[in-house]
Amino acid sequence: MKPSHPAAHILFLVLLFSLFALPAGILVLVGLAPGWRFPDLWPEQFSFAGIEFLITHREQIVSSLVSSFLYSLATVFVTLCMCLTPAAAFARQRFPGKRLLEALVLTPALVPPMTFAMGLHMVFIKLSLADTAAGVVLILALFSYPYMFRALVAGFQTMGEGYRVCARNLGAGNIAIFRQVELPLLVPAMIAGGSVVFLVAFSEYFLVFLMGGGNVPSFTGFLMPLLASSNRSLAAVLTLIFLLLPILLFFMLDWGLMRSYRKKGMI
Amino acid sequence: MSWTSNRTAILILKLSPLMLPFVVLFCGGVFLTVCQSLGLFTPLPHTGGLVDAYTVILSDPSFFASAGFSFGVALASAAGSVTAATFLAYRVWQLPKMMAGAALVYKIPLILPHIAVAFVVLVFWSQSGILASLAHALGLIQSMQEFPNVLFSGWGVGMILAYTLKGTPFAMLLILALLVRFDVRQIQTAAMLGASRSRIFFSIVMPRLAPALHTSFIILFLYSFGAFDIPYILSESRPGMLSLHVFDLYFKHDLARRPEAMAILTLMFGFAVLFIIAYSKTVTRLENGVRKL
Repeated sequence: MKPSHPAAHILFLVLLFSLFALPAGILVLVGLAPGWRFPDLWPEQFSFAGIEFLITHREQIVSSLVSSFLYSLATVFVTLCMCLTPAAAFARQRFPGKRLLEALVLTPALVPPMTFAMGLHMVFIKLSLADTAAGVVLILALFSYPYMFRALVAGFQTMGEGYRVCARNLGAGNIAIFRQVELPLLVPAMIAGGSVVFLVAFSEYFLVFLMGGGNVPSFTGFLMPLLASSNRSLAAVLTLIFLLLPILLFFMLDWGLMRSYRKKGMI
Repeated sequence: MSWTSNRTAILILKLSPLMLPFVVLFCGGVFLTVCQSLGLFTPLPHTGGLVDAYTVILSDPSFFASAGFSFGVALASAAGSVTAATFLAYRVWQLPKMMAGAALVYKIPLILPHIAVAFVVLVFWSQSGILASLAHALGLIQSMQEFPNVLFSGWGVGMILAYTLKGTPFAMLLILALLVRFDVRQIQTAAMLGASRSRIFFSIVMPRLAPALHTSFIILFLYSFGAFDIPYILSESRPGMLSLHVFDLYFKHDLARRPEAMAILTLMFGFAVLFIIAYSKTVTRLENGVRKL
């Protein structure tokens, strides 16, 4: 019952590309042609002004990129620590109020983050957490941990109890089971949850602005004034960096994971 | 210590890494927002009554205009994303294996931050944008001014476009996760029994996708309702999104108006919670009336 005609599939792919890939392609053109104006359908002139800007401002760009990258990675780590044992409990144990509790812990990802972040802002100022990277990581983790939690619960459920029981029969203790059996099996779930958390943290503007207060450099913070400026070429070039960095990261992760699995003979 | 209480203690210990931040930071944060909306713990000592901020807000017609506007933008973009994502994901799933890899391009807007997606909408839809140039090249318009003023129409079309572009791949991701586990034989059987394509889609595929559709709708709706990033770039003057209103009150006015910002946030929080509860209740009730396969 699938539409069998290949032309239909190709037409659909064209639609998909024009919806989701064309914007990125246009950004490349905008980045290379600062003088591209209405009504030209194709830029009259290309220039490397955007790239030159990158080179002259490289220190600022690199430092904001590195900062964004590090606090996003820290956020992933914090959410992982927050969710690992609770996810195991939620996936394996029954206890009263479990469904309600599960619904409750997922709410921070649903309600507008402003509603709790602005209330916390004052306390963070009093605790000198505002304007620090720690404050930024905390607020980002608070907003994004449900994605990690969901992924880990699913991971524990797919793993099942079999490996654990088997390892216990062979005489492994709790810590050995966790470190040598469960943790490696959970890596795909951690990566799935971690990627979402990383992207959420990496692309967030407002929470970083609120809690970082300009002291914590961020790539979104660097990008924002340029997006609103009239120089679209610069904004386009920087947006493309935004696109490339996570893609590169995910490819590397995927490749590294495959290699380590092969080494261990898991695939 | 008895065996059961020991078990409970271990369970509590296991849950605490999540529950402590949840209670202290999340619940605490919401609690402080509510307190400040009542004039308690504000940076400036609050002299008026407890509900002064609410009285000010609720007597301001522009608040209701903003709330209605935010609701509309959120509803349109979430409904648009979920509808588009359902059809696109279904078609992606039907692609032959060798073409399926190319379909991964749908993930591009997932990686782009919201502010960048807003920028893409700006580049495409402004009166001097790509689409205007295209319309000119096709002879549809003679000058920039003839291109419809999509971004500043007063209807939030720019924001809806940006949220839909960002939200569609997200919903597709959730829907495709369900589709990969979907049994093709159900569709083949239906086709053999003479069901039309649309009937197969609406009676067999859709009910299976329902959980992903509901989840993505709730997430996208509430996000667009309360987020700040996209409106900051694509907002029109009036009526504005609630989040921008809060931002202005919090950062641009003097501290005396802090309770008003917090009161709006409290109302937004209440609305979000009520929406989640009402939506899940409705879904459960509707699904109880549907026969499962």
